[in-house]
Amino acid sequence: MAAQWIELVTGPWEDKRRWRRLKQRKKQLPAGYRTAMDGLERYFMYAGPIARGDVYLQMLEDLADLVERAAVDGTSVRSVVGEDPVEFAEAFIANYADGQWINKERVRLIETIDRSAKEG
Amino acid sequence: MGKQMTEMLKGTLEGIVLAILAVEPAYGYDITARLREQGFTDIAEGTVYALLLRIEKRGLVDVEKMPSEKGPPRKVYALNAQGSEYLREFWGTWSFLAARIEQLQQHAENPQNEGGE
Repeated sequence: MAAQWIELVTGPWEDKRRWRRLKQRKKQLPAGYRTAMDGLERYFMYAGPIARGDVYLQMLEDLADLVERAAVDGTSVRSVVGEDPVEFAEAFIANYADGQWINKERVRLIETIDRSAKEG
Repeated sequence: MGKQMTEMLKGTLEGIVLAILAVEPAYGYDITARLREQGFTDIAEGTVYALLLRIEKRGLVDVEKMPSEKGPPRKVYALNAQGSEYLREFWGTWSFLAARIEQLQQHAENPQNEGGE
């Protein structure tokens, strides 16, 4: 499902290459870390749909950097994600807000209120 | 670390991390370890990592990728001029906030001392 969705939003071949490389990286992770990444990816898709393919890929690559590093260092999934995985996921997504659908609406709201303030 | 501590920490963690980086450049794991040493035992490495990504995007730190024996290169974060400026502002805000809260606490605990003027 993720693959189909990403195909829909990513045009450039480079993005597709990045996507395949990401899947490769994930395959090489120890099982527990891979499960955690799957879970986070799924949450990312539902909680903060990123409209821009390149931003979404960047987010997953940054996550892969973090998880790979943890796997090599032997840092447990729990100490990476913490007691509240949702809070972690939300903090992570917040970094990519400029790629989120909702961001368009945020900008629209800001502009509308600016206009309303001028209209008096 | 209780829920309240977590909530309060949210607003200040950025400044705390920048203060750690002001001492010397460090990578994510270093920073988490140092925070844990200082009593923030429940801090998740991922939380610190997400924060580092944010301050990187905002241009407060310079990032250098250092090759490591195993696994992907480590990203070493160093405070830059913009980050130093932000940190200076953070300390100013913190002092203001700490003084006001201290004052409130004193008034709340010793209400009889008030109204003497």
